[in-house]
Formats: sequence, structure tokens, C-alpha cells
Amino acid sequence: MQKGRIFSIEEFSTYDGPGIRTTVFLKGCPLRCTWCHNPEGQRTEAELVRSPNGCLSCGACLAEGARKTGTPCLVRESVEVCPRRLIRVCGEELSSEGLIARLEKNIRILNMSGGGITFSGGEPLTQAAFVTECMHLLRGKTHRALQTCGYASEETFARVLSECDFVLYDLKLIDDARHKQYTGVSNALILQNYRRLAASRVPFITRIPLIPTVNDTEENIRATAALMKECGVRSVELLPYNKMAGGKYLMLGREYEPHFDGSVAPCARLEIFAEYGIEGRIL
Amino acid sequence: MTEKVKKALAALCSAEYKQQRIDNGEFDMTDELMKLPKRLRRLPMMEAMLQAETPMFLEEDIFGFHRRNKQTVSYVDLDGRRLRSNGGNLTPNYARVIGMGFDGVLEIINERLQIFRTEDSQIEFLETMKKYVDAVFEICERYRIAARQTGRTRLAEALERIPHKPAESFYEACLFFQIIVYTLRCASYNHVTLGRFDQYMYPYYQKDVARGASREELLETLELFFISLNADGDLYIGMQQGDNGQSMMLGGYDKDGNSMYNELTFLCMDAAEELTLIDPKINLRVNKTTPDEIYEYGTRLTKQGLGFPQYCNDDIAIPYLRSIGYDEDDAYDYTVAACWEYIVPNCAVDVPNRATMNFPYVVNNAIRSSLPTAKSFDEVLAAAKEEIAKESQRLRQKYSPTERSDLLKLSYGYLSIFVDGCLEKGLDLSQGGAKYYNYGCHGAGIATAADALEAVRTVIFEGKSITPDELLAALDADFKGYEVLQNRLLSCAKMGNNVDTVDAIAGELMETFAASMNHKPNDRYGGVWRAGTGSAMEYISSARVCPATADGRHAGEAYGCSFSPAITTRLDGPLSVIQSFTKFDLTKICNGGPLTLEVHDTVFRNAEGEKKVAQLVKAFIHLGGHQLQINSINRDRLLDAQEHPEKYPNLIVRVWGWSGYFCELDREYQDHVIRRTEFRV
Repeated sequence: MQKGRIFSIEEFSTYDGPGIRTTVFLKGCPLRCTWCHNPEGQRTEAELVRSPNGCLSCGACLAEGARKTGTPCLVRESVEVCPRRLIRVCGEELSSEGLIARLEKNIRILNMSGGGITFSGGEPLTQAAFVTECMHLLRGKTHRALQTCGYASEETFARVLSECDFVLYDLKLIDDARHKQYTGVSNALILQNYRRLAASRVPFITRIPLIPTVNDTEENIRATAALMKECGVRSVELLPYNKMAGGKYLMLGREYEPHFDGSVAPCARLEIFAEYGIEGRIL
Repeated sequence: MTEKVKKALAALCSAEYKQQRIDNGEFDMTDELMKLPKRLRRLPMMEAMLQAETPMFLEEDIFGFHRRNKQTVSYVDLDGRRLRSNGGNLTPNYARVIGMGFDGVLEIINERLQIFRTEDSQIEFLETMKKYVDAVFEICERYRIAARQTGRTRLAEALERIPHKPAESFYEACLFFQIIVYTLRCASYNHVTLGRFDQYMYPYYQKDVARGASREELLETLELFFISLNADGDLYIGMQQGDNGQSMMLGGYDKDGNSMYNELTFLCMDAAEELTLIDPKINLRVNKTTPDEIYEYGTRLTKQGLGFPQYCNDDIAIPYLRSIGYDEDDAYDYTVAACWEYIVPNCAVDVPNRATMNFPYVVNNAIRSSLPTAKSFDEVLAAAKEEIAKESQRLRQKYSPTERSDLLKLSYGYLSIFVDGCLEKGLDLSQGGAKYYNYGCHGAGIATAADALEAVRTVIFEGKSITPDELLAALDADFKGYEVLQNRLLSCAKMGNNVDTVDAIAGELMETFAASMNHKPNDRYGGVWRAGTGSAMEYISSARVCPATADGRHAGEAYGCSFSPAITTRLDGPLSVIQSFTKFDLTKICNGGPLTLEVHDTVFRNAEGEKKVAQLVKAFIHLGGHQLQINSINRDRLLDAQEHPEKYPNLIVRVWGWSGYFCELDREYQDHVIRRTEFRV
């Protein structure tokens, strides 16, 4: 039985596939997109998160850190002393069966609406064996979707894909140098797996997080549309950059440095997609 | 929206018409009224009010009948209490009076006067009713003249016949309705609800359609009527601004399972969606057979941020009402009171909010007294159930009518015309003229109570990580100095996260409450008690008197609203919530009281999200939920609205059973809505 690390299970996630869905967010991501709005999903190891809403500023959590380390900071023990329970360990480890047992409680409702379960992240492919096993356990029970950036070896991707009923696939930047600049990795594997997905029988939707000045340029949109056309893809979903992304960095005690101007509205350029016979939809 | 409607709406929102109102202080009539016996005080109060009124119109107004005087008549009784409002929170039989005109009402009265020739009290009652009708005629005649003088020909012509004669068209029926609402409010009845509007107004709608009226024409009339309902809403003050009782029930199913949804149902929803006003507060009757389109239609209103529709489940409400003793036809005709209490229109004078079971308070006492000696959790639970049964009995005794009760002595007067049976029997509502006289008992804070017991079970009996003495000391100290212990209590399973142990405890508490409340006589003309899951303002007010509880809640901290998770609960999500709250057979405890879900407004960004919310509602109904209201919320916007209220004059939220303007709420109610979003939106 495989073990995995997740950072959240979100019920009634409305943008992660058809019908009412529960989304499992897996911890760990090989990319470091500068706009990432789920920074708690980046690192593989567990982290402490403090939510700011309702904090009484009583200082109990930091005092606990001071007691342990000599300087005021969050420590594992802080979780137990917050009177409002606002601190949690983000990155629970659990077995595939343990996770499925938890998910099964909602399956009746998910299936009523033609929905199901989506594995997202982080990047779920970093825990491919765990995800594949979970999906296998859910086979025949509910609709299984994978939300991925596609960064994995060809074999890994193929293995997970064999258990998927649906894929939500992110394309960020076509120019490899820029991809490296903004996400930290090359897009070679990503583009290769995208082609593989398009050639498979698994239904999928292409998604582009629209980041102002980074990938909403005419050049990138045109290149993306060309690739999609080449793969026979007819529709795309565009997710405009979420300005609220910065809040979560604070909760993790990190700084948010997007390296672009987040106040500019991203440009959807639906007309370019249309030129390539692709219908664009803004989410 | 037509130009006319746009203008009328702008005039309503600008609130300039309120400048025409007269500030008439307390409108005190103590000297005159105290000379009269209680049963005769109502009539001069309404007569004086209507006499003080003068016709007033808003822009593009085709109805009139808006309050000129800010206050209705009041007096100070021997105990020094200022009395004004009395009665209400029921659904009058509009259809009957609109269908026969007040001339028809007078005919019935005269007929009954012949029959009751020798019975003084009946004669006095019926003669009084005639005087009420005269007072209505008098103000209507003044309106007719004013309408004529100001060039409102359509209104003037309609008033040639209305309200003497039955309405002949949809417009006339709406006008008649407006007159009834206006005169009832002038007579100080509170929370006059609107009932199943799409059912009893449908014949007039059909008549107009048969005459060739277009949908646009009818929608315009309806929208102007809805605007009219909002014009005086701020004067109908309940516990909070917005709590004015103007609930409207749409749809439903008859006893053969046929859908009662009709064109007027959808016209009402379209009008509400276009106008985005707080009144009428729409409810939808649904059941297992309700098609997805209805839920999707309803969700469009939710998306507008209106806080309604509230969904009511026929499959649960009707069997409950039948079990309480309502006749089949009456049960199938159910509607809601001002908020969510299931009531029967036209013939019932139920008081569905007579008392409140303060679950956490009672359970907390039981925990505190049983814990030092209890050998098992079952003993604590048994003590809690015993206390609930005792409290039920105490509440029934305290709130059943006695000699001192004003409910029996003060006449309801004018309202009796609109309740079946009163004219026929020659008896005022307060004297047994109506068919049903049941009382409802709310059940506040069930989640907090169950959570407290679950925490005791977990930390004391299961984990044995805290001793009874430590827990009691922590509760005494309101957790000051016991923050780590409080944290552990907060970490226990909570109702709302679909955990069987805690949900089962809630079920046992509700079962006991239902068994010790339902069907018990209230000594009011054969009435009985009904148990429910609601809390009106009690989720704040009852919580205020409740000390710290074992779930980790601070003394005085608010409960969840009605049948909802505690506000301190970190929720797994709405799927868990709807399952937690549908495990118990709710046909046993259905006085009313909804689950409230808060959904972030970004869910509604596109049609797909809307459909999913509709599916969520459907799932709740299919699981056996009895009532649901949904808030489409943006926490940041609410916080900003507290800082800059001037920017958000039209921001609407669902409070406890009604939609109100956020900025007009008292701060603690605003804060409660915001806290509900802390962990979940």
C-alpha cells in the first residue's frame, strides 16, 4: 500500500472538472511558478500554516517557539496552544486506503451530480505511485480526474493516465527559456506529455493560467494555439491571474515575489484562439 | 426592465419619498384607550391611524397605499408597558377577500348577524368588524380622489370598484393585495407574511393572459407591485431592520404529486432577479421529484446575493404537519411564517416561535452536574436527555396561556376578517375563531450542544486525557489559563463534518426534545406544541446567557444560526455539512429552522458553477433535509462594508431567516455573518 502526503481535501470544488467534485491536493511540486496561488503545495515536506482570520494576537504560538528554540517562531507544538485552532500542519501523510475511506463518504453525492474526485496539487505526478493506486481503488466507484502541469517522465505520465477518466492539463509557456525563467524548469517533458495526452483516448481540457505580461503575450498565445491545433484540440479554459494569491505566502511566513505586475489585467486574446479554430472560455 | 420600472426602482432606492413621511412620535392614545376594555381597544387604534393617513404616491406608482405616518398608535397599559403591535406572523387569507371584495365580507357579516341575533358577544364582534371595513373604505375613497386629482387614471378607475368588489384582473388583484397589506400594517400587525402568491394570484394572471395581456405587461405590473412591497418595509420593524416578515412561498406539489409550479412562479422569480430587493423574500417548495431546472432557476437568485430562495422540502414538512394533526388539505397548502416556521395559511393562528429550547445551556448544566460522578459517557448523555425533557416541560408550562396572558385577552380585531372561521363563528381570532392554535418551540444551538457532549466523550471517557475536575475548572475560568485544554476541545469531532459519533448525539438530543414537545397540549383552543430546529435571534441572545461550553466555546459566544454548525467549527466542506445535518429523521422535528450554507460568490462566476450549487441543493433535499438557505458571500466585501458602509447601501445578506441590508444590521449580527465565513468561505 502506498503512502502519500496531501495538503488539503476540498469539498465542492467547482472548477476542477464536471459535476460536484472533491479535490485532493497533493503536496510537492517540481515547478516554482512565480504566480503560484497554492504555495503550500510546493514543498514536499510538511509545513506549519497559520490562518490570519480570527487571530487574537495572543502570542501563545510564538511563545511556544521561543520556549523550544530561543526565538519566537512557529513550531509543531504551536498547533496545540492556539486557542482558536488557527495553526495547522499542512502536509498530512496517509495511506491510499486511508484517503479513499475518507473520500468514500461523499461519493454518493458526487455521483448524484455526475461529479467525482480530482487529484491536484502541488503536482500530483510527483506522487505518481500513490495517485495511481488511489485512482485504481476508485475505479468503477466514481469519476476520476487529474489536474496536472504534466511535468513527469513519459512512463510515469502514461501509468497515471491509464487510471484517469479525465485530465485538466496546464500549459503555461511555450518558449522554453521563458518557461525556465518563470517556473524554474524546462517545458520539454510538459509538451511531450501534452502530445501524448492528446493522442490518448482520455478526455481532457487544456487550461492556461493567464499571467499578465508573462504568458498573455500575442507570441505565447499564438504558439500555444498552434500547438493545440496541431494536437487537434478545439477548446481551452483560461484562468485569469488571481490577485489574492499573495495572502497564502504570509500564512506560510514567506514573501510573495511574483516578478511581474499583478495589477495589470491579463489579456485573454480569445480572437487568436478563434483564428486557430479553438474556442476559449474564461473561468 | 421597462422604463417605468427603472424609474420606480430608482425612486425607491433613492429613498427620497421617505421625506414625505410624518414623524408622529409614539402616536400615544393611552388616555382614550385605557377607558376601554381590552377587547375594544384595537378598533379605535386602527381608525385613528387611518384617519391620520393621507394619500401618498411614489414615482411611477400604480398602487399607492404607502405609510405617511412613521408610527402606528400605541398606549401604555397598567403595568407601564407600551403596547402597539400584537399578532401577526401568520398568512392571512388574501384570496378569499380579493375574490369577494369587502362588500362580500359585509354580506357574510350581515348574514351571521341574523343568525347570532341573540348572542351579545358575537354581535359585538361582527359589528366591530363592520367598522373596520368602513375605515378601510374611507381611506380607499380618499386615495381614489387623490389618484384622480394627480392624474393616476388607472388607479382611480380601479378604486371605483376595489376594494368593494372582487378583483377582475391581475393588476386589480395586486392593488387589492396592497390595500390589505397596508391596512393590516396600519393596524399594527407584525410580520404579515405573503403566502403562496403564485397559487392564489394565478387565476387573475390567467384571466389577463386570456384577455391577451403580454408577459412583459404582466411582469411590469408584478415588478411595480414588488417595488411597492418594499416601500414601507423599513417601517415594519422586527427584531432587526429587514426582519419584516414579507416571506413569499412559491411552487410545491399537491397531494397527488402534481407540480404546482406555474408561469406566475417563474414570473415572480424573474422579477426578484431583476429587482434585487429584499422583499418579497422568496421560498421554494421542492421535493424528490423537483427537476434540476427549478434548482437552477432558484440558484440564479442566490447568485444575485439575495440570500433567497430558501428551500423547503415537501417530503419532510408535510408528513410532519400531518403528524401534528393538520388536515391533509391544510398540510399540503403549507407556507412559512416570517422566517422559516412551517405554518398553514388562511385558517391557523399558530404561534410558531413561542418558546426556545436553549440546547447548549441545558446540556451544559447536565454535563456540569453529572460529570463529577458519572462512570461512563452514557450516564452524561442520559443526564443531558433528562434535562432536555425537563426543560421542555418547563417551557410548555411557562409559555402556555394563563389567566394573565394577553394573548387571550387582547382581541386580534381586523385580522380576524382574513382568517377562515372567525366571521362564520362570530369569534375573534383570540377567542377561538380559527382552526389551529398550535405553538412552536425553537431549538437553538443543537450543534454546540452535541459538540460539547462529543468533546466530553472524547477527552474524558475515551482518551482520558483530561479529568472531569480540570474540564469543570476550565469552564469556570472561561478557558482563561486553559488555552491548551480549550484547543484540545476544539480539536474534537464536530457536527457538520459528517462524523457519526457526534451526529448521533445530536440525533438523540433532538429525539428527546421532539418526544417531550410534539403533540403536547398547550391549552389554547385544542392547540398542541411543535418542536423545531430553528433559532431566531436566539443564536445570539440565548448564547449570550450561556456560559463556556465543553466544545471550547467561550461564554456568551454566539451559536450557529438555526440548524447549522457551530461558528467555531473548521468545516471539511458543504458535502460533509449536508450529510451531518440529514442523518436524523427530520419529519419528527419540523416546526422549522434551516441549515444555512455560506458559499463564496466566486462559485457563481459561470453557468457551470451555478449548476453545481443547484446540484448541492438538490442533494440536500434528496438526503432528507427539511430546509436550506444559502448565502453567497464575499468575506472581504463584508469587512470592507463594515469600514465603508456608504459604499454598500444595497449589499444584502441572509441573517437568520430573512434577507436584510448588511449595513443596516446591528454590529453583532454583521459580525456573526462574517465569522460564519472564517473557516469556510
